[in-house]
Formats: sequence, C-alpha cells, structure tokens
Amino acid sequence: MHRSAAKRLLHSSFFYANQTSPIRTIAAPRFRFRFLASTTPEPNDFNTRTSSSSTLGDRPSHTSTTSTPRANYEEEQARVLAASLHHVIRLGWTEAAMIAGARDVRVSPSIVGAIPRKEAALVEYFMDECLQKLIDKIDSGELQLLDLVASERIAKLIKVRLQMQAPYISKWPQALSIQAQPSNISTSFKQRAMLVDEFWHASNDEGSGVDWYLKRTVVGGIYSTTEIYMLTDNSTDFEDTWIFLKERVRDAFDLKKTFQEVKYFAEAVGAGLGSSLQGFAKKS
Amino acid sequence: MSVRMVARRLGSKLLPRFAPAATLHSHATSFGFKEVNEEEKSQLVGNVFTKVASNYDIMNDLMSGGLHRLWKDRLVSKLSPFPGMKHLDVAGGTGDVAFRILETINSVNRRAKEDTREDDLQEETQIYVCDINPNMLNVGKKRAQERGLGDLGSLVWVEGDAEKLTFKDDSMDGYTIAFGIRNVTHIGKVLAEAYRVLKKGGRFLCLELSHVDTPVFKQLYDYYSFSVIPVVGELVAGDRDSYQYLVESVRRFPPQEVFASMIADAGFQKVEYENLVGGVVAIHSGLKI
Repeated sequence: MHRSAAKRLLHSSFFYANQTSPIRTIAAPRFRFRFLASTTPEPNDFNTRTSSSSTLGDRPSHTSTTSTPRANYEEEQARVLAASLHHVIRLGWTEAAMIAGARDVRVSPSIVGAIPRKEAALVEYFMDECLQKLIDKIDSGELQLLDLVASERIAKLIKVRLQMQAPYISKWPQALSIQAQPSNISTSFKQRAMLVDEFWHASNDEGSGVDWYLKRTVVGGIYSTTEIYMLTDNSTDFEDTWIFLKERVRDAFDLKKTFQEVKYFAEAVGAGLGSSLQGFAKKS
Repeated sequence: MSVRMVARRLGSKLLPRFAPAATLHSHATSFGFKEVNEEEKSQLVGNVFTKVASNYDIMNDLMSGGLHRLWKDRLVSKLSPFPGMKHLDVAGGTGDVAFRILETINSVNRRAKEDTREDDLQEETQIYVCDINPNMLNVGKKRAQERGLGDLGSLVWVEGDAEKLTFKDDSMDGYTIAFGIRNVTHIGKVLAEAYRVLKKGGRFLCLELSHVDTPVFKQLYDYYSFSVIPVVGELVAGDRDSYQYLVESVRRFPPQEVFASMIADAGFQKVEYENLVGGVVAIHSGLKI
C-alpha cells in the first residue's frame, strides 16, 4: 500500500511539475481525456511508448502497437523529454537539448515552447525517471537488500541512485542550480522527499512520529552532501564518493547510538540524583 | 500588465455561452454591428485595410498607447522561436510579428549560446507572411527593407486567404495570427486550415483583442473604444468608419472561453489563453499533436 502510494505520488508529481505556473491546464484524468480528445466517435488507442518509465496515469497498462492520430500531448512531451536526455551530456539541461530531442522523435521543436518551465521540466523528468528505475531495481530484488544491515542498506541504495546520475555528472551542477530556482524549488523538494522516503521504505523502516521526520532529514542530508561531493570527485568510478558515503552513514548511525546512550545516561543520573535528594530531604 | 492566465481542457461538452456567427442566418455574418452577406464581408474588410494600410502602424501606436509592441513581444516569447523554424504569420501584413521572430532567432544573445551545428539550420529558417491584402504586404516589404531584413531569404511574402491557404499539410512549425482573426468570415475554417498546415508538435498562437469583464475597467474601456478611437481615426487617418468597424468587430468576436473551445474543436490540444491588460488583449495557444 505504501509502495502504490509512492507510485501515485510519483506520477502526480511529474504531472504537477508541469502545472506550477499560473496557467492551469485543467486536464481530465487520462482515460476521460482521451475520450474527449477525439471529435470523431472512434475510440482512442493507447499510443506506443518508447520507455517503460514515468508517463502519466495508467502505469501498468500495456500498449497496443497502433499509433493513434490523436495521441495525448503529455505522452509526446514525455517522449521528447526522454529523447532530450541523450543530448544533455553535450548541450546541458537547456532548451537546445530539448529541441534536439524533439527532432530525434520527429516532432516539431515548437513543442518545447509549450512545455512550462522548460529546463526544469527536463530535470524533473530525469529525477522521476531515476526514482522509477530505483523502485524497479528494488522490486526486482537485484540489490539483495535483505542480506545487509540497515546502515549498509541505506548506503547501497544511495549509491545505486547516485550512479544513475554518473553519466550526466559534468552537467549536474547546472541541474542542481535549476532545481534551486524559486519557481522550481517546491517540486524538487517534493521529489527529493519521495526519494528519501523510498530509501527508508526499502530498508523496512518502522519509525513513527518525530523519528520518521528525523530519519528522513538525516538521510536527505547524507544524500545531498554525497551528491555534491560527487561533483568534484575525479577518482575512477567515484571510489572516493562511496567511501565518503559510507563514513557519513556510519556517523549517522553512530550518532543515533550516541543519542540513545546519552538518554540512558541522563535517566540514570536523574534517578541517582532523585534518590540522593530524597535521602537528604528525609534526613532533615 | 496584469497577467491572469486561466486555461481549460475543452471538449465538445462545453456549452457555448455566447453563440457567435452561429445564431445568425447561415449566409449572413457580422461586419462590426452591421449584418452583411458573407460574400460582402471579405470585400468590406478588404476595403477597410486598403484604406488604413499606410497609417496602420501609427494608428496602432495611438490606439494602444504603444502597448501593442509589448503584446507582440509577449506573443513571440511564448512562441520560443528556434533556428531552422518554418513559421507562418497569417494576416501579418505589415510584418510586425514576423520581424520580431526573425530578430529573436538571429539575435546575438542566442547565437553566443548556440551549438555550432545550428549555424546550418539558421539558413533554413523561413518565415512566411501571408495576407489577403496586397497593400498591407507592400507596406510590410518596405518596412523590412528599412529594418535591414529585406534581402535575407528568410522572409517570404505571400498573398493568400487564411481560409484557404496554399501551403502544404504538415509543413509549418508555428502559426501565428495577430489581430487578424476577428476580420475573417469563417473563424472555424481558419482554425481548420491552421491545423492542417501545422506539423506534429506545431503550435498555434493567436493574439487578439478580447473581452473585458472587470466592472469598472470595462466601462472605461468601452468609453475609450467608442468615443475616443473613432475620433482619433478621423483626425489622424481621416477615416472614422474604418475605426468604428474595428471597435465593433472586437465586441462581436467570441469571448475568450468560447474562442478557446473553437480552437479545441479544430483539433488542437493543450488549449490555453492568457489575458493581457485585464482582458483587452488575449493570447490563445494550442498544440497540434
């Protein structure tokens, strides 16, 4: 149930990401949209999808191979963004990359003009893609998380997620700066929150209350610092980054133990103090 | 300029609150507040623009207080032109929008950031300016020369009818119509033609005078339209009637929501509109997929 909630949030976040400007395209849910889209009575088929990743709506649905003349513009947009990622390494997270991507899928580059917050849409699409890939990897069991201790699990998940960014590392600072812009920050924050939630969920976290927020904040911090460390890491296969990551995770778990010990110590002191005060009071 | 943007995904279930030419007799249409035969309308509009062509730009400046330049800038920035684009500007007689698009594509700012591959594409950029009135086109050609854009192969001046374009299907990346669509006889046909010539992923953008709803401002705007503009037309261009036609045709044009539904009916997706100056002007946009 938790997982499907994350998936639903994932799709709505991508959808939402394209709606944070004052122009609100009040779109009906997808199947109804398709029903209304055609002025002729024939039913609309699903469009062919080139990737299995975060397109809107019915994720588990299967595609027919016929392409409809009335394909959904959101699907086309997703196709264009997917194709644009290939150009990001060369052109950066820019309109130029999106125009090149549109040319690749044989859609007029004018579609880029219709995408709200253009470069941010590309970055957000990428973030959603990576989260989806991460979820798929966890689900398929290839990470073998059950063999690992909690701290190792978190470290492995963060490593797997950051490795997805490795091909784009030369342009990643640009992506970070795009995410930090005021108009984009709410969406990027939401995406990172979902990511961190996924980390903990995959580690079978059973926290509640303040603990829940604390865990997510701490892992969010570890993730962000490692991400930034990775930007200037020149070692082969980012070895230094993974060492850095392990250290931070270990620190965090040690800190947790430290807090617990402090708590016990305080209780013990308090108990001791209380009894000596009582003794003192009794005497006098 | 207050930008209040509202958009709707409109389908056939939207009930038109105002029925434009639909309620009129099938062979009659409106010329301002007068009712005329359809055949007559294009003749009458033709006469209007033949008369105003030489003073068109000055009158625009006077009537809008220079704001029309900002509106056209906004239109072009929404379009996001790119090198290698094939663009069609309909009813673009004197060339304002076309010049802006070309200048955006060729701007030094853009070229500095460009990929070297795009230089080849620069050559392929074609902006077609289509207008039914040859006088307006001539004024446009002259202005192009003055701006130094005359000898570039990129600007092509075409005389043609928006309801029956001579361009091939799926040939244009963009289609704009600025302050032209209220003058056509059949809006639906123009929209259908726009849909036909656009490529997949192509965008339709329409800049047009539209309806103001905010209470006090509406009265002011009406007063300005009906009392001031025809007088200015008389004084500057010596032609009161043409400008009377103009303000009346604005009132006759469908309001924003209805026009948006007409665009959606033509097959466009992601139909949105943006009001400028509280609704005096609206930019409608649609995407062909």
